[in-house]
Amino acid sequence: MDQQPPLRLWLAAIAKKDTQAFRSLYDATSPNLFGFLLRILVKRELAEEALQESFVSIWNNANSYQPHLAAPMTWMTTIVRNKAFDLLRRQDDTVELDNDNFDKDVLNAMESTALTPNEHLQLTQDAQALARCFTKLEGMQQQAIVLAYYHDASHSDIAAQLTLPIGTVKTWIRRGLDRLRVCLTAAERT
Amino acid sequence: MNILNNKSLREQLAASYVLGTLRGATRRRFETLLANSAQLDADVQSWQQRLNPLAEFAQPQTPPQRVWQQLERSLNLSAISQSSGQSFWRNINDNIAGSLNFWRGLGLVSSTAAAVLALLLLMKPADNGMPTPSLVAMLVNDKAQPNLMLVADIKHHRLTAKILASQNVASNQSLELWAIPKQGAPKSLGLLAKDGSISLPLPEFATTQDIAMLAVSLEPLHGSADPNGPSGPVLFTGAWQQI
Repeated sequence: MDQQPPLRLWLAAIAKKDTQAFRSLYDATSPNLFGFLLRILVKRELAEEALQESFVSIWNNANSYQPHLAAPMTWMTTIVRNKAFDLLRRQDDTVELDNDNFDKDVLNAMESTALTPNEHLQLTQDAQALARCFTKLEGMQQQAIVLAYYHDASHSDIAAQLTLPIGTVKTWIRRGLDRLRVCLTAAERT
Repeated sequence: MNILNNKSLREQLAASYVLGTLRGATRRRFETLLANSAQLDADVQSWQQRLNPLAEFAQPQTPPQRVWQQLERSLNLSAISQSSGQSFWRNINDNIAGSLNFWRGLGLVSSTAAAVLALLLLMKPADNGMPTPSLVAMLVNDKAQPNLMLVADIKHHRLTAKILASQNVASNQSLELWAIPKQGAPKSLGLLAKDGSISLPLPEFATTQDIAMLAVSLEPLHGSADPNGPSGPVLFTGAWQQI
């Protein structure tokens, strides 16, 4: 039985400019998306700006959402992440990457989800599957992928952060993503 | 090299494009290809599907009220909700939460469970002697009370309905059953008999993934004059559930 809120249906209604469905979607998804934005942008006022711009985009583009191609959260997360990176690149001073404190709880949350899935039922099935596969990667691979995903880090940013040669970083990430794909594809089939 | 014919290279580029490590001129070339290749677009969407759940592992934080207030102002939402004739969708939207809650609590509702069983017994037995319903839907009113039970027997292409609470339908009115796709206009499945029952051939479209919602509306005797949707009020709504 579907325990998740009916995001697809709300998006379909929002495409028809249903303001109530928009409010429902906002209430159901904004805490997750705002938490994600705070991770990327650190500063609250920037995260609020990005959240607002993202929902303007969601309102304006709901009619181009294609339910057979992407899950609603996937579609919205792409919008939110793009807005966040746009804002990030417009900043004069770069946001400090403090990898030790910064991403540890993201990695811990994934590990805890993989170990005790029943305590993390608020996560989507996709997130639970990802946690199981992600935690099978080497620690360095996990860190490198999270740095790129959350902080728009380039290969050379990651090499500097993890004090590894850039060629090694490229190889690590490529293999990590490949293992992730194989693991997630296998998980889908079971 | 033609990357479109090289699956592993395509995967690799789509992955680093989504992750963000594909940069500069390579990224721009990739974007040009992406705009012209449905295959590449599908690869990118698959990678978004794989990687975007990473976002869920950030600690959720409720944004301050002012974000919603600013959204309301900048999109002028209050004017939109007053002016547009969206009561049909709003009605559905209100009801879906109720119908989900109803199904979560189904185990407790023994009289309804009995109704489900009774209905299953009415159905034509399959080869093994058991009925083979594939989908059921409980349609509820605006107070989330169950009113109509639908069973789709996919194997025998039959749609059966059973009304659970008798309705006051005037002699010049009918109840009409609709399948509502995620996009596009609702499609009529037929009129309910006066006693609320119905047994119809099950059209293929009625049970596809694309159908977000089933609804019953109050209509003139011969149904809605508008082929694209109800003309009268929507009384009950619900969604297919696999059983």
